[in-house]
Amino acid sequence: MESLENAIEVRHLRKAFGTLKAVDGIDFELKQGEFLTVFGPNGAGKTTLIKILSGLTQPSSGTAKVAGFDVTEGQPEMRKKIGVISHSTALYADLTPLENLMFFARMHGLEHPEDKSLKVIEEVGLSPRRNNRVRTFSRGMLQRLSIARAILHDPAILFLDEPFTGLDLHATNVLKEHLQRLHDRRRTILMTTHDISCGLEMCDKVALQVQGKFAFLKNISDVDKDRFESTYFDAVRDNQFSTGIGI
Amino acid sequence: MNLYLNQIAAIVWKDFVTELKTRELLSAMFIFALLVILIFIFSINLSIVKASEVGPGILWVAFLFAGTIGLNRSFMLEKENDCLMGLMLVPADRTAIYFGKLISNLIFLSIMELFILPLFMIFFDIDLLSHLGPLLVVVFLGTLGFCVLGTLLSSLSSNLKTREIMLPILLYPLLIPIIIAAVRMTGQILDGTELSDMMKWVGLTASFDIIYIGVSIMTIDHILEE
Repeated sequence: MESLENAIEVRHLRKAFGTLKAVDGIDFELKQGEFLTVFGPNGAGKTTLIKILSGLTQPSSGTAKVAGFDVTEGQPEMRKKIGVISHSTALYADLTPLENLMFFARMHGLEHPEDKSLKVIEEVGLSPRRNNRVRTFSRGMLQRLSIARAILHDPAILFLDEPFTGLDLHATNVLKEHLQRLHDRRRTILMTTHDISCGLEMCDKVALQVQGKFAFLKNISDVDKDRFESTYFDAVRDNQFSTGIGI
Repeated sequence: MNLYLNQIAAIVWKDFVTELKTRELLSAMFIFALLVILIFIFSINLSIVKASEVGPGILWVAFLFAGTIGLNRSFMLEKENDCLMGLMLVPADRTAIYFGKLISNLIFLSIMELFILPLFMIFFDIDLLSHLGPLLVVVFLGTLGFCVLGTLLSSLSSNLKTREIMLPILLYPLLIPIIIAAVRMTGQILDGTELSDMMKWVGLTASFDIIYIGVSIMTIDHILEE
């Protein structure tokens, strides 16, 4: 994997849907191997932020560079370097995990798509079910297969949009282990979540997004984890966007 | 170029594997086309009207309506679980996605038509075998135009709540030149006219096919954007 000093660079990023400001002037940067967790209530604009950074939605203004590429240009080269896990699985329900991953491997232009797919399926612990239709999978298994799809091409940057939603305890632990492994392999990760303990446990940086803005963005070492939950609720309630939040 | 063709082939392969497992698309199209032909067979008196005069129109109405079902289903497959988003995230040119879906649709429709043609021949008591070569050329040209435009518009309407209604509303008016030409050519072929004597219609259909392919290449990027 080549070095990406600034894996993600976001400057004055805005996205409006009519009068609704989903992303409202966000600035941040992530270096290669850093893990940023973005918390925020529903409707804060977290998903829109991920969609913009992964090139799925165009920003209204501002700039965002991912792996050195301007996201607005929609370059295939940028898409080679990112993996995305969103609310939906983006998996074909009537295909098996092996067929799904082989399809995406071919779309990524990977050599030996079957071998690569089998290896990733094993990595996420789905080998015994590799020939069953995805339609028959539980939420946890789908999420693991989503991870497999996202990491199949060994991307340098991963975007995860609420990956713990709907998972049971076991599946949550499995997912956390995968993310930790990816973090150890110096993948840059941007994750949005409502799960405060999971989010704080793995990250290097924490952000709180409220009404499209980052209420704060801090290194995890500067955050009092015990007080985070109450501060989160205070921030959401009071819409305190400036520096006045006492973390 | 190799990657581009591989990506197109991967989409066609994926659609075929899905269809082999579900058998939803081909069976639905075939049954619908058959029903259309049966309804017309019972509603017209073939002892009064000439089969070769009414047959081509009925045949193309059946292809058109059944094909619309196929087009709707084709992009619904991509919307389920937001698979289209997965496609948008791969390093593929948007036209590769379009051509992959176009080729899948074209093959599925052609298979359905190959099953419908013998039944049409039996029900209307028309000898298609003696005109099979030219007829297949005409059916291919018409189906290509239908799929080229249909694939583009089904990708556009797949984001709408009223997609099942919107697709035919958008598609049929734009298809008029192709369908008129296809019906005319089919009728003339059944009357024994050589394909070389109807190059005007062949040229018209081929021109529209090419124009619509050009329009699709130019617009698919914007259409697939959210």
